[in-house]
Amino acid sequence: MLEVRNLQKVYDNGTHALKGVSFDVKQGEFLVVIGLSGSGKSTLLRCINRLHDPTSGAVNFEGEDITKLRGARIRSVRSRIGMIFQHFNLIPRRTVLTNVLSGSLSKTSVLKSILGMWPEEDKIKAKQYIDIVGLTGKENIRADNLSGGQQQRVAIARALMQNPKILLADEPVASLDPATSHSVMQYLKKVNEELGVTVICNLHFLSLVRQYASRVIALKGGELIYEGKPLDIDENWFKTIYGEEAVEVTIN
Amino acid sequence: MSANTPALENKKTMGMGQMKSVILALLLDTFLWTYVSLVLYKIIYEKMILGLRFPDFTWNQPITALVVGGLITLALFFTKFSIGRATQGLYDLDENKSIMKEPFTLLGLFIVFLTFIAGLYVSQISIREFLSQSGLTGARRIFTALFQPNLGILEPALFAAVETIYMAFIATTLALPFAFLLGFFAARNLMNGSRLGLAIYYIVRFFLNLTRSIEPLVWAIIFSVWVGIGPFAGMLALMIHSISSLAKLYSEQIENISNGPIEAITATGAHPVQVIWFGVVPQIVLPYLSFTIYRWDINVRMATVIGLVGGGGIGTMLMQYQGLAKWNEVGLLVIVIASVVWVMDYASSKIREAIK
Repeated sequence: MLEVRNLQKVYDNGTHALKGVSFDVKQGEFLVVIGLSGSGKSTLLRCINRLHDPTSGAVNFEGEDITKLRGARIRSVRSRIGMIFQHFNLIPRRTVLTNVLSGSLSKTSVLKSILGMWPEEDKIKAKQYIDIVGLTGKENIRADNLSGGQQQRVAIARALMQNPKILLADEPVASLDPATSHSVMQYLKKVNEELGVTVICNLHFLSLVRQYASRVIALKGGELIYEGKPLDIDENWFKTIYGEEAVEVTIN
Repeated sequence: MSANTPALENKKTMGMGQMKSVILALLLDTFLWTYVSLVLYKIIYEKMILGLRFPDFTWNQPITALVVGGLITLALFFTKFSIGRATQGLYDLDENKSIMKEPFTLLGLFIVFLTFIAGLYVSQISIREFLSQSGLTGARRIFTALFQPNLGILEPALFAAVETIYMAFIATTLALPFAFLLGFFAARNLMNGSRLGLAIYYIVRFFLNLTRSIEPLVWAIIFSVWVGIGPFAGMLALMIHSISSLAKLYSEQIENISNGPIEAITATGAHPVQVIWFGVVPQIVLPYLSFTIYRWDINVRMATVIGLVGGGGIGTMLMQYQGLAKWNEVGLLVIVIASVVWVMDYASSKIREAIK
């Protein structure tokens, strides 16, 4: 459902973040992207929903190259791709409900959304998603008063509100403690398996990769150097991806 | 291979940078030595030793000092007495030795000491005048009157105070939309997308700094000639100053917002207007409100000062009674002003705390 072809990204400051990356993502996969910091993982995800514009190459989403779309058409593509972030990126000082409802902005008119006139069925849907991520009863709490793990679950609910085909997760557990990390990963797995949403997720910890990924790709210096099953990453591959000095850290 | 290129470039710019720091060090040293020789001559020799009250000034003196300073700089630049080299990091310092024991630090302390001595003379500090018989009598007269305020003018004084508060409020409110718009143009992170944007940014910044560096007091004098003495002139002066101050604060707030929520809202496929409303506005609205209330508070205080030069309100009243040497009335006005300032200060800090 998603084809990335020879994707290149050069930033204005000259950094060559992606050097011709190609891969396919199939419906229902849980694809994990691994690699060192600065290897281009975040850039890759942001090129898929065009938060960054790729320099060249193609991203075919549901049969359409989205790299050149503008205005309303790229917004329509974005609305079908959910995204969650390392630092959650919720709207500060707004309630959990408003944050989840903001996932439906693309189909709410500008004026109505600014006046806070959300459709009744969207509100019901938002409450259902809040239930799904286990935050029942916290609708009217300010999002920035929640703990990190809870904020990430609000972010998941916001993404689900878009009714996405793909969920992009940019290091979703990198600022969470081990226990909370697993809980958030469990919710992502649930979204993947029960709601059938394809997940593309950047991760740091190989132990999490082995536990949750259905397939893995690895980036190094902007190039794709590994593609395969999570359990096939042995000692040698590990050293290739993370460098000779690296030692694996496990998180339980 | 790619690792080599930046290193080469680095070396090149290092050479250029080194040259620049040596020149800067020389200039700084020359300036400091010129300053030292001029101060030593004017203050220590002419004032303290010769005891001249108003010594002559000719342009020969600073020029001679510049030559002397230049010569001393050349003589001492390669010793450890060069402050210029120290500030440009051109010394290889022994890390185990305290920097307080280096010769250039001692020289720096000496210059500060010299400036202090010179300052005492320039300010004409005189304990004798402070404690003189006639001076103390005058002070006693004013203080007695101030502590016996004339309650008869309480009513007009309160009206004038209300006028001042309203004037400050209108000045703040009218400044608000201008400052709000200019704030976006003066925010670097929003404007550095294109060359045109950056040009606008620099022009707006320049005018904001220019208007801000002219004191409201001066604006009040300008406007009292323009629109006549009264609250309107004072209001205009406060408004001009508020626009530039608020726009600066607003723009800094915009520069400090986090990009995360903007990214997240964009990623949902929202319209650009929705991105600003849900991604930018929630981050700036409370700081904006807080700055604005604080500005109102500042404006009330400034309105009093501006009244002294004909900006209307309680300041003008104060000036009139002070001109007539009616100290009992002045005493009452001072009390009214102090209470208004105190109440405003308290209220604004409480409000700002509450909306955090």
